[in-house]
Amino acid sequence: MAAAESMPELAMKPPRLGHPNLGLGVGLRTVHFSHILRAQPEVDWFEIISENFIDSQGRPRYVLEQIAERYRVVMHGVSMSIGSTDPLDFEYLAKLKRLAGEINAHWISDHLCWTGVAGRNSHDLLPIPFNEETLRHAVERIRIVQDFLERPLVLENPSSYVTFADSTMTEWEFLTRMAEDADCGLLLDVNNVYVSSVNHDFDPHEFVESVPHHRVVQVHLAGHTNCGTHLIDTHDGEVIDPVWELYRKAHRLTGGVSTLLEWDASIPPFEVVHHEVLKAKRHMSEQLETTEAVPRPATPRETAVPHPLHFVAPEVE
Amino acid sequence: MSHRLDEIQRWMQAVITHAGGIVPGIESPQARGEIDVDTARVEEVIARSEALSSVERLGVYGNAYFARLLECMGESFPCLVQALGEETFDEFAFGYLQTYPSTSYTLNHLADRFPDYLRETRPDTGELGGGEVGWPDFIIDLATLELTFEKVFDGPGFEHASILEADDLAAVAPEVWPQVRLRPVPCLRLLAFHFPVNAYFTAFRREEEPEIPGPHREFVAITRRDYVVRRFNLSPAQFALLGKLIEGAQVGEAIEAAAEAFTGTVEELADGLRQWFGEWAAAGFFESLELPD
Repeated sequence: MAAAESMPELAMKPPRLGHPNLGLGVGLRTVHFSHILRAQPEVDWFEIISENFIDSQGRPRYVLEQIAERYRVVMHGVSMSIGSTDPLDFEYLAKLKRLAGEINAHWISDHLCWTGVAGRNSHDLLPIPFNEETLRHAVERIRIVQDFLERPLVLENPSSYVTFADSTMTEWEFLTRMAEDADCGLLLDVNNVYVSSVNHDFDPHEFVESVPHHRVVQVHLAGHTNCGTHLIDTHDGEVIDPVWELYRKAHRLTGGVSTLLEWDASIPPFEVVHHEVLKAKRHMSEQLETTEAVPRPATPRETAVPHPLHFVAPEVE
Repeated sequence: MSHRLDEIQRWMQAVITHAGGIVPGIESPQARGEIDVDTARVEEVIARSEALSSVERLGVYGNAYFARLLECMGESFPCLVQALGEETFDEFAFGYLQTYPSTSYTLNHLADRFPDYLRETRPDTGELGGGEVGWPDFIIDLATLELTFEKVFDGPGFEHASILEADDLAAVAPEVWPQVRLRPVPCLRLLAFHFPVNAYFTAFRREEEPEIPGPHREFVAITRRDYVVRRFNLSPAQFALLGKLIEGAQVGEAIEAAAEAFTGTVEELADGLRQWFGEWAAAGFFESLELPD
């Protein structure tokens, strides 16, 4: 049973927190800037990495303004550090808010994670223990951020590689209670669900079935790397069948939400990335079909690095 | 025994960012000061999975921490990576990241202090002697050049502003010219090097594999136009002139500084000045001019 159906008092909440289903989008990456400006491909929407643009006074910002004039845009961040015990960075939040207004972003998302403490930033999406203390902490900070941004925050489940002895509940229980208590949205990354399920020995279908579907504003798709003993969220390839299977389930349970493909390493030409997300159309129409889940062959790669890694290289004449 | 969230976070950060790896990280005073477990008891904090031990799972984050940031550093300094070789560059960058870990929400500031770090750790003794120009200066110069590209590329520019054209300069009455002040565009930077690193970078851009050059003074102006970083080689006199103008000096004072650095005749300097100002205006070096009262 879907979570929303088990909570009648929540039935009045509109799906996706009232946000539109933007269709099938692509993560905007600098290597595709020239192609997008020149070819103006028919793409439903773009998701930007907020930190690449909030301070930009150069070409990245110039390109974004042109893209935002033609396409619908969503802001996705990697540095809010909502789970950190360091103070919130209100200067950063003010920049997010300003950019969201300037490019008319449909929503602002980040991750349920922490990125550093004691003033440091690891530039990684670090996991939190799922327990009552962390839940209270996250909910309080989400409320503060939402009040400041004057809009609901949308938070993504990150891929993770450790679990904590101090966890007392599942990730999906934590996400459900967090979203309801803080009244925020969820970005359900079905690739992350799969990666974490392998790394932490849980059933990914139970995760997707259990989150509050009316709060899922957006879905992420991506590729990952199989290291044999664990998976790493590398965003460097095609989406594998077991992840598509989770996507079909998420699509059915949510009634359809904005879907976005992330590709952050070994990035191919734009058409290849766009083609990958368009595969979702077939999975929507075949939503009740299930195929044998075939794990990606193990290709041990000790050098695999979890993304995000977002950096804008300068253009020099 | 349960641990507070802040303790867990400080402990995990100390463990996964330890330069020696996960086990030395767990055993480090910094980590033990937060949560006092040794490697044998780490499952009291991090659970194991069916396939991996707690230490191996932490290793995913530990490996990623430096790998990710070293990759980012390499992207900031592609020419320096080629000059030094990836392994040597990574050694420098690895030391830098331990001394100056990121404290910014953006990776765009990750490399900001790398040239400073290279200066601070510059070997000043032994074969080089104190203060003598040597290979460390080549590395510092090239790092400074590539960092400047990054800052100019995404910093303030003048793409949406009007700039001073050559005709605007020509319209200034000759008698007031020495009292004029020229305001540079915000992206204009002047750099003086011990080694010809700009020429070295040009060869790198042409996908050549240049030899590391010997010491030779080089003066460069960096700016941005149409969102692309532009480079201009300068003579010592041009560097002195532009330097004074950027400081806010009047044109006459700046020309005096240029004359001191100029090795030709007065006539040659006068011809040069006309040509230089015309070229710099065409390149968009100046935003506006301030006439004397």
